[in-house]
Amino acid sequence: MTAEANPISIYQIRNLLLDRESQGVSFRLAVPSLQIRQGEKIALIGESGCGKSTLLDILAFIAQPTESDGFLFHPEELDVGVHIDYHWRKRNLNQLGDLRKKHIGYVMQTGGLLPYLNVRDNMNLSRHVLHQEDDGSVEQLAMQLGIARHLNKLPETLSTGERQRVAIGRALAHNPSIVIADEPTASVDPFAAEKIMSLFISLAEARNITVIVASHAWQHVNKLGLRRLSHHTQRSSDGRTTETIVNG
Amino acid sequence: MQLFKTLRLATRDYQHEWKTSICFVLGLSAVLGPMMVLYGLKVGIIGGMFNQLIENPINREIRPVSSGRYERAWLGALHRRDDVTFVVPHTRNIAAMIELQSQRASRIIKAETIPSDHGDPLLDPIRVTPTGLHAVVLSRSAANKLKVDVGDTISGSIKRRYRDQSERVHIDLKIIGIAPLESFARDGVFADLRLVEALEDFRDGHAVPALGWTGDVVTGERTYPGFRLYARSIYDVENLERLLNEAGIDVRTRSTQIALVVKMERNLNAIYWLIALIGLVGFALSLGASLWANIDHKRKELSVLRLVGFRTGDIIWFPMIQAFYTAVLGTLLAVGLFQGVAWLINDLLGQQLSNGEPVCILYQEHYIAAAVLTIVTALISAILAGIRAARIEPSDGLREL
Ligand SMILES: Nc1ncnc2c1ncn2[C@@H]1O[C@H](COP(=O)(O)OP(=O)(O)OP(=O)(O)O)[C@@H](O)[C@H]1O
Ligand SMILES: [Mg+2]
Repeated sequence: MTAEANPISIYQIRNLLLDRESQGVSFRLAVPSLQIRQGEKIALIGESGCGKSTLLDILAFIAQPTESDGFLFHPEELDVGVHIDYHWRKRNLNQLGDLRKKHIGYVMQTGGLLPYLNVRDNMNLSRHVLHQEDDGSVEQLAMQLGIARHLNKLPETLSTGERQRVAIGRALAHNPSIVIADEPTASVDPFAAEKIMSLFISLAEARNITVIVASHAWQHVNKLGLRRLSHHTQRSSDGRTTETIVNG
Repeated sequence: MQLFKTLRLATRDYQHEWKTSICFVLGLSAVLGPMMVLYGLKVGIIGGMFNQLIENPINREIRPVSSGRYERAWLGALHRRDDVTFVVPHTRNIAAMIELQSQRASRIIKAETIPSDHGDPLLDPIRVTPTGLHAVVLSRSAANKLKVDVGDTISGSIKRRYRDQSERVHIDLKIIGIAPLESFARDGVFADLRLVEALEDFRDGHAVPALGWTGDVVTGERTYPGFRLYARSIYDVENLERLLNEAGIDVRTRSTQIALVVKMERNLNAIYWLIALIGLVGFALSLGASLWANIDHKRKELSVLRLVGFRTGDIIWFPMIQAFYTAVLGTLLAVGLFQGVAWLINDLLGQQLSNGEPVCILYQEHYIAAAVLTIVTALISAILAGIRAARIEPSDGLREL
């Protein structure tokens, strides 16, 4: 099997398709081949509507591919790879959820913090779900993110940038193998965005975490040394069908 | 299971959204509070009527209308029935009259003698039983007229025409108790059956050796023209009445009045439960609908929980836990409201409406029933919202806002 042939690939996707159709407009995401290795930093850069979020949803087991020849997920903590396509076919949503909660951190564009939990509890959310002990790592992470003094505050009292840093902290706190971030800095100014992004990447680097980021921002991607996934988007002349092909 | 974590998060959310929570709680107590007041009035008023019915032994009394010939054995059999608490034979009414005189009052009064025995419901409140030929319990009115009290001795006298001669005998009677006014309103003497029989015997020209009264010697089984009978409870009266009627004995009872109150209670209960049902259904629908709508409001937060790994089974509990809080707090507030209103009602109307008994009252079991009913209703109405919450996918909230 391919998984054994290349054990360091955390994602292995072959001939995956996802079709979306609403009100006569159809969108297709095609991934002929995609390999992401442990520790890689991947950037998905593309115009709005090209399917970045869709691909991230597939990688986070949130969106079900229409079809695929192979979708193997093999984080280094697991001895054997997991066939995600199999679980989707069986609708084993709770198993997919368990995989996600153990191995994946997710940074939402708008933070996605729970308004009724303070910063510390928000950052601890995934850790608590996984029954991880409080070992001071959240406090350390907060220090590194520069939000230590906000630990006991509710999210509503934080600035957008601070909230975004809390969201990054939450995605990293339970030591996942992969952190997926969908435009994590879209709602802050470019200067803050660059600072937050480089903080995020350096924290991930220090922990050997695989990072997959979708973003509009071209300039600091190169600066931070991310690998860009190549993709190609074509629209039909009447604009009713869009197809994006991702390879990497 | 993440139930404990769901509990913690749902609790935090409930506190954080305290304005919404207060609205839920107020909405519940606005329905439950008046319902409790209504029920409290029902319990207080009907309960008071029942208490009077139950407490006053007159309502359990069964009296033969015309005189018959009842044997001791037959009365004894009646006494052994479970639904009969007290039965004692009675002599002829006219023969039972006695003239009483005390040293404290000049007037002589005529009083009825009433055969009594252990467990006489009319003497229940004072817990004394006249035994022997020289101990009696006086009715209140007789005691007042004679100006006597417990411990005094009075003189009783009866007369007869025997062999064309007028004869009068006297007997000393020690007052061992005075029956309350409610038990017997006229002038009366509660006495041992043997004393009542002795008076009748003397009147009939028979000898009473125990008192040294001379006359004819009687032989044969004694029969009684009447009896005093009390049913175990007001609910047994109707059945006993039917039984005696079937035996050819016409009796007088309070069964119609009892049936009236019982029927009234039943009707009021039916009306109350109809109102309560409508209120409860209304509350369930409104709570269910607001919890359901609240899921939209929380869609994003719930999807975050799904994203970090809460399973569908854990999420169901989120609205259920919050509904539970609403039910508990709402019940507490409603109980507070009820107690305030009940206090007002009892204070304002209490004196006019009843003799010191509360007009509006609920007992512990009613509070427990209200709480259980409310909590169960709230949980049931939260189930739909819970299922809806559990259906939320991790992706649902990601694209919003
Ligand atoms: N729930 C949906 N149902 C139908 N079509 C959808 C749905 N969500 C997204 N799409 C379509 O899928 C395509 C890709 O959307 P996607 O959100 O992946 O774009 P994106 O690259 O993330 O864009 P942006 O940079 O604006 O976030 C778009 O054409 C969009 O209209
Ligand atoms: Mg997007």
